Amino acid sequence: MSNSISEDELIAVCGKIGKILLTSGAETARVESTVEYIGRAAHFEITCHATITALFVGVKNQTKTHLVKARLGDFNLQKVDEINTTSRKFVTGKIDFTTLEEKIDQIDRKVIDFNWPLKILGAGMVSVAPMLLFKATWADLSLAFFVGIIGYLIAVWAGKHIMTPYVAAGCGGFIIGFLAALLETLSIATSAGNIIVSALMPLVPGVAITNSFREIIDRNTISGLVRAVDAIIIAGSIGAGVVIGMSLCSMITGIIGG
Amino acid sequence: MDVLIEFIVSFASSVGFGLITNVPRRSLPAAGITGSVAWVAYYLVLQVNHGLILPNFTAAIVIGILGNISAVLFRVPVNIIYVPSLVSLVPGGIMYLGMRSFTLGKESSTSQYMFNSLTIAISLAVGFVVAEVVFYRIKPLLTRLINHAKKFES
Repeated sequence: MSNSISEDELIAVCGKIGKILLTSGAETARVESTVEYIGRAAHFEITCHATITALFVGVKNQTKTHLVKARLGDFNLQKVDEINTTSRKFVTGKIDFTTLEEKIDQIDRKVIDFNWPLKILGAGMVSVAPMLLFKATWADLSLAFFVGIIGYLIAVWAGKHIMTPYVAAGCGGFIIGFLAALLETLSIATSAGNIIVSALMPLVPGVAITNSFREIIDRNTISGLVRAVDAIIIAGSIGAGVVIGMSLCSMITGIIGG
Repeated sequence: MDVLIEFIVSFASSVGFGLITNVPRRSLPAAGITGSVAWVAYYLVLQVNHGLILPNFTAAIVIGILGNISAVLFRVPVNIIYVPSLVSLVPGGIMYLGMRSFTLGKESSTSQYMFNSLTIAISLAVGFVVAEVVFYRIKPLLTRLINHAKKFES
């Protein structure tokens, strides 16, 4: 069975697997080890080098190399899990190469997602930050639940319609800052700052920066640095968005009030 | 009582972030419990030590060990447990505050906030490394236990 796999096919499938893993937020070390495991299971000595923006797959002692370009993507951990399960099945010999190929294609095309009501609920639940539990009032935290949902939805919507990178997060920050400042000036909320920090939790790149340091400690310095810089710029665009939103709100209330 | 509230809210946070990042359903409860246990550990250490490093480091060790154990139990990559359970610990809010100060041109508070978020991120990452070192020591024992339990069931 293993002799029927040609080198080119194997490299193509490995490239696809690596690309899906990279763009759904797996660590580079995991991408490399998964691809190399699959190669070994197919009796080829595959070498794989992954950085966050590119992926090289080749067979050892050969001149052919497959280069796959990847872009930083959002987390989609379910894809990572499905690829992991499928490749594990292939390595243990439960499925053969053609089934692997088909399944990888399927995973690549399929949009794996929770439905929207669940996601909205999730965004709201993240927006009540445990960090602020006994520092902010309960009323503020419950307002942050709704403000966070709106900010998250705006950020997702903007991400779909605006192709310029980093604008989506800025839009989310803008809406959250505007709403929080509005709630404070209408004296519904006590502290706009607490609402903003709490409601921004689904958007801020905290997990990304922690993962980037994990990669740096793992000696994947390039990927770690790319992720860290990306996280800092996202935080910057959110910060700028919030500042613009808050000053817009104070301008509007100034015009109406004065 | 306070600890219970912290536990519930951080559980909700972790599960919520799991929903946003599309964690597979079977590992969602495990991720939630890992996140909330780690947060309670953070909270308890914070009562004794008001620094940034020790509470985060402890929480990261808890996540690292519990996360690796549940990754073995549920057969998922360990990152799938890490990402949602980290959400209440990570320095996202502080990073935002830092970049807002940057936008407003306040130098000293920018460097203060960014330094704090760097400290938190590094202590979490180092905590994971330590936890993984510990986990690979106890992994053979764990797999033996799991095999034992499977035999016992069948």
